[in-house]
Amino acid sequence: MAAAQQGDARAYRALLVAVTPWLRRYFGRRLPPGAVEDTVQDVLLAIHEKRHTYDPARPFGPWLAAIARYKWIDRLRALKAHATEPLDETMQAPDDVEGAVAGSTFQRLLGELKPSQATAIRLVKLEGYSTEEASRVTGQSVSLIKVNIHRGLKRLAHMVRADADAD
Amino acid sequence: MPMRTESLVDQLSRDLQPVRPRSPVRDAMLLLALAVAEIAVFLGLGFMRPDMPAAMDQPSLWWKLASMGTIAGLGASVTILAADPLRSPRRGLRWMFACMAVIFASGWLIDAGGSDLGQLLHRLDWRNGLQCVWKMDVLSLPAAIGMAILLRRGAPTDREGTALAAALSAAGWGAFVFVFACPSDDPLYIAVWYTVGCAIVTLLGRAILLFVSRW
Repeated sequence: MAAAQQGDARAYRALLVAVTPWLRRYFGRRLPPGAVEDTVQDVLLAIHEKRHTYDPARPFGPWLAAIARYKWIDRLRALKAHATEPLDETMQAPDDVEGAVAGSTFQRLLGELKPSQATAIRLVKLEGYSTEEASRVTGQSVSLIKVNIHRGLKRLAHMVRADADAD
Repeated sequence: MPMRTESLVDQLSRDLQPVRPRSPVRDAMLLLALAVAEIAVFLGLGFMRPDMPAAMDQPSLWWKLASMGTIAGLGASVTILAADPLRSPRRGLRWMFACMAVIFASGWLIDAGGSDLGQLLHRLDWRNGLQCVWKMDVLSLPAAIGMAILLRRGAPTDREGTALAAALSAAGWGAFVFVFACPSDDPLYIAVWYTVGCAIVTLLGRAILLFVSRW
């Protein structure tokens, strides 16, 4: 990276090629499979735009990890903001070990929420129910469903951040 | 490697330009130069209070200067450090809030030395107070712009905390410069109107700097 800061394009290319598999593994454990490649590219762009913030006197790994973690949280926020669509029940899912690990991590985090929050998130965000349908199923009012989703997702983001700090 | 990412890597390395690594000391020097220039222009325009020699005997003048200078300096230091992706502003913010508590406590002690609590409304002098708020908020603008440039150039990973530290610093900075013109040495007046002025800059500044610092 120090060479890249001085304009050495070959060293820079070698660096980006070397960090890409690490980034794929990093996000593969933390994001839905469909979001991994986009986030890897986000980080590559961030490395490029912010390469002057790297201090050559310090190791490169923690700097890269800090940027990756920042982009991961950014992506989680973006995922939270986007509406989900129900999946086709007949769709076949390929064997995907990393996706399964990410899914099981998500289920574990969901299990740590209040039951009313976890149910609201599961129905609306994962199973594609509308808030009205979720309200009928759970007996919660529509506004309470919305509040539970909002608070639950906020709590999930905190837990994810705490997990990242533990990493 | 899938094609899209490989193309991106090719493009980024092909367009590579040399960059000068960021230096916190250089950033601090630039902010200091901006502060000195603003004070010089402000005083050069004749805004210094006319009774400054007499005011320098009052403990409240030094309390104002030290308090606002500490907030501005601490906030700027926290902002410069937190523009590094590896550093968090949280510890620095805790120090800033502790300083603010000490500032209020020391102001109360100065006030208790010789004040008439029966004339609170008169002492607040709201017409002058609102003018003070307006002036110190305008004087915060150069600092806020400097902080925005610093944050755009940096890579803060805790944008909420860093934007708060930068906004507090800009608020303290504006109030610090205003101390040279402020006609009041009443600790109650200072505590109330400086808090209002700083709170406005902090709230607005944090919202804008949070947006500006996105990367």
